[in-house]
Amino acid sequence: MALSIGLPRMHKEAGERRDFLPPLVSFLDRHGAAEIVVEDGYGSGMGVDLASYLRASDRCRVGSYEECLAQDVVVVLRYPGRDVVRLLRHGTILVSMLHLQTRPERVELLTELGIHGVSLDGVTDDRGTRLVQNVEAVGWNGVREAFKEIAKVHPRFTHPSRRPLRVTCLGAGAVGAHAIRAATRYGNPRLREEMAARRVPGVEVTVADFDLTWHENYMLTRLEQTDLLIDATQRQDPTRVIVPNEWVAALPQDAVILDLSVDPYDITVDPPKMKGIEGIPEGNLDQYVFMPDDPAYDGLPPPIETKNRRLALACYSWPALQPRACMEVYGGQIEPVMRVILERGIGELDDRTGSYYERAVARAEVSRWRAVRGR
Amino acid sequence: MASRPRTLTFGLPRMHKEAGERRDFLPSLVGKLADWGVDVFVEGGIGSGMGFRDQDYADLSPLVHLVTHEEAFRADVVLTLRCPEEAEYMTMRPGATLFAMLHLPTRPERVQSLRDLGVEAISMDSITDDSGRRLVIDSRDVAWNGVEAAFDALERTWPELGDPGRRPVRVTLVGPGEIGKHGVEAATKFGNIERAARFAREGLAGVEVVVIGRNLSANEAHVRHLLRQADVFVDASQRDDPSLPLIPNAWIEELPSHAVICDLVVDPYLLDARPPTVRSIEGIPQGNLDQWIFMPDDPAWDRLPPGVPTEHRRAVASCYSWPGIHPMPCMELYGTQLAPLLEALIRAGGMNGLHAEGSYHERALHRASLRAWVGLD
Repeated sequence: MALSIGLPRMHKEAGERRDFLPPLVSFLDRHGAAEIVVEDGYGSGMGVDLASYLRASDRCRVGSYEECLAQDVVVVLRYPGRDVVRLLRHGTILVSMLHLQTRPERVELLTELGIHGVSLDGVTDDRGTRLVQNVEAVGWNGVREAFKEIAKVHPRFTHPSRRPLRVTCLGAGAVGAHAIRAATRYGNPRLREEMAARRVPGVEVTVADFDLTWHENYMLTRLEQTDLLIDATQRQDPTRVIVPNEWVAALPQDAVILDLSVDPYDITVDPPKMKGIEGIPEGNLDQYVFMPDDPAYDGLPPPIETKNRRLALACYSWPALQPRACMEVYGGQIEPVMRVILERGIGELDDRTGSYYERAVARAEVSRWRAVRGR
Repeated sequence: MASRPRTLTFGLPRMHKEAGERRDFLPSLVGKLADWGVDVFVEGGIGSGMGFRDQDYADLSPLVHLVTHEEAFRADVVLTLRCPEEAEYMTMRPGATLFAMLHLPTRPERVQSLRDLGVEAISMDSITDDSGRRLVIDSRDVAWNGVEAAFDALERTWPELGDPGRRPVRVTLVGPGEIGKHGVEAATKFGNIERAARFAREGLAGVEVVVIGRNLSANEAHVRHLLRQADVFVDASQRDDPSLPLIPNAWIEELPSHAVICDLVVDPYLLDARPPTVRSIEGIPQGNLDQWIFMPDDPAWDRLPPGVPTEHRRAVASCYSWPGIHPMPCMELYGTQLAPLLEALIRAGGMNGLHAEGSYHERALHRASLRAWVGLD
């Protein structure tokens, strides 16, 4: 039986402008969706009008938020929240970033309500590599914004006589790799070309991973020579700080700190969970740049030390800063996921003998995910 | 799928290149092909370079057959990692499909030869997703194996490396692209996780990696400054003009005498070509799977083309095929990457069943086909 699709908007902070793009609607049409309901205003945050969605499919119509939630399959990038999930009817397929691994309460809720959650962050290949992700945008968007701030405070940013800019990147993993590459290009390939044409010295990136960041003498010397400090680490133990606030004092006064790891503070646990660089605020899509006198610093509770401050950038969702580019990536990545759901049906998926994407989607479906983990 | 009609046969000939080439497709991939209902003709001796026996393959399924090298080329689909010699693929029958690293964009003579033979082809190196990202690639092993070899050499040239009182090791890397990004991570781990863990247990300081791109790599003063401080210098660059070296031989004198040059680019010397191609780091030998570490007194320097300056020498790690150093993980990765593509090819019944608008993997295969390359589809 053909399935209907609901595409509700994400009613989070004002800065959340992302929605899936018309090519996904066209794809869903081609692969047998009975009807596609997009919420009124869909795409408006990116300047995409509703007519573009309607042109993409004769089976597309505009509906209310509630109508979108009433379809067989509900596709929304960010988890819509407990109260919204309770509005879904039994048997609905919810395709979203569910983060089942770290949100056991969601597993229980979806199971209790009989909802087939398909966790986009859990769609992996046979080796466990995520098939729906955008770490490249984390690195590039964060670094681009950081260099915008450096350009404002560096008096000779575009002058050929200045020395090369010095970036220190903590962490050399997936996010770090993109951040390093982005940093050698000011986070902006066009700016890099312009600077090269004017013979402005480029950017030197120094990378230190966990087997060096413990070395206080090295780190203090390194920080003294840093124009931009990037945290791209993935810590095993989020209670252990990498750069204590007192080390921040070693940074030049006009240095910039960029947080790409976006680990939250949690002082309700003992020991408390801390950010890798102690004393910088948590950002979101409404505010991700924090001057040293920003009130956000004062809002951080003890035992978080904030005495030493620099201009800092932090955002829980760096890809969303370029919503259209972000959704082009995600749209392309979820097409094969949606094709499996439309053509195979969620109950028929086989995580052992099915096709490549059938196996990947089956692994991400909550009941199978739960069964594998014996919950 | 075991009951599916046997519409295709697969041939897996071995690669008889240099002695150090030990790679073959693993039993795990051959088993999958058989599970998908195709007859698989593997060359006797397959996997022997990695310790497998013929029986490890033959026992997988009645659909797996041990044959000669020549017989493996008579299948509907000939699957091999490196492109066979022309004399080998000339024995394929018209309409059969050669599935290998064919490098069609840079090998026009190969394209013509395959067309003349009426052989279909899918070039592994051209298989990309809808956004152009390669799906069959082992850039991680290029970087990790190359950097590992460089640190192996550094252990020989710099005994201080294992001294608990030493300073952090300094690596300079040029080119933070697809290979370079893995090179950075590998360098922070001394090219080898076990070595990094051992050094950490012994309380040794880690590695500082300095990364520069094109907007600094042409700055002679700055590069000379970085060379003076480098224990390992890694070249992962992509040059706009391969007729000019990134690092002229004269600059190499800046490197400390114990320093190691790690060549992840592995461009050849093609001095007769117009324009000529020179190596990115001028005056270093190019290695292969038989030898990839060269000390400054190695006779390999004397075999470089006349006129190439070699006055300044340091230990060099270079290999045209870094993934082949550790054949097993390399072939595990390629097997994993190829499996869904081969599955799609089998499900489509071969080349004629592939559609440009088909599934994710069908589209990827179609884009990489000789048909698509020459514009026939």
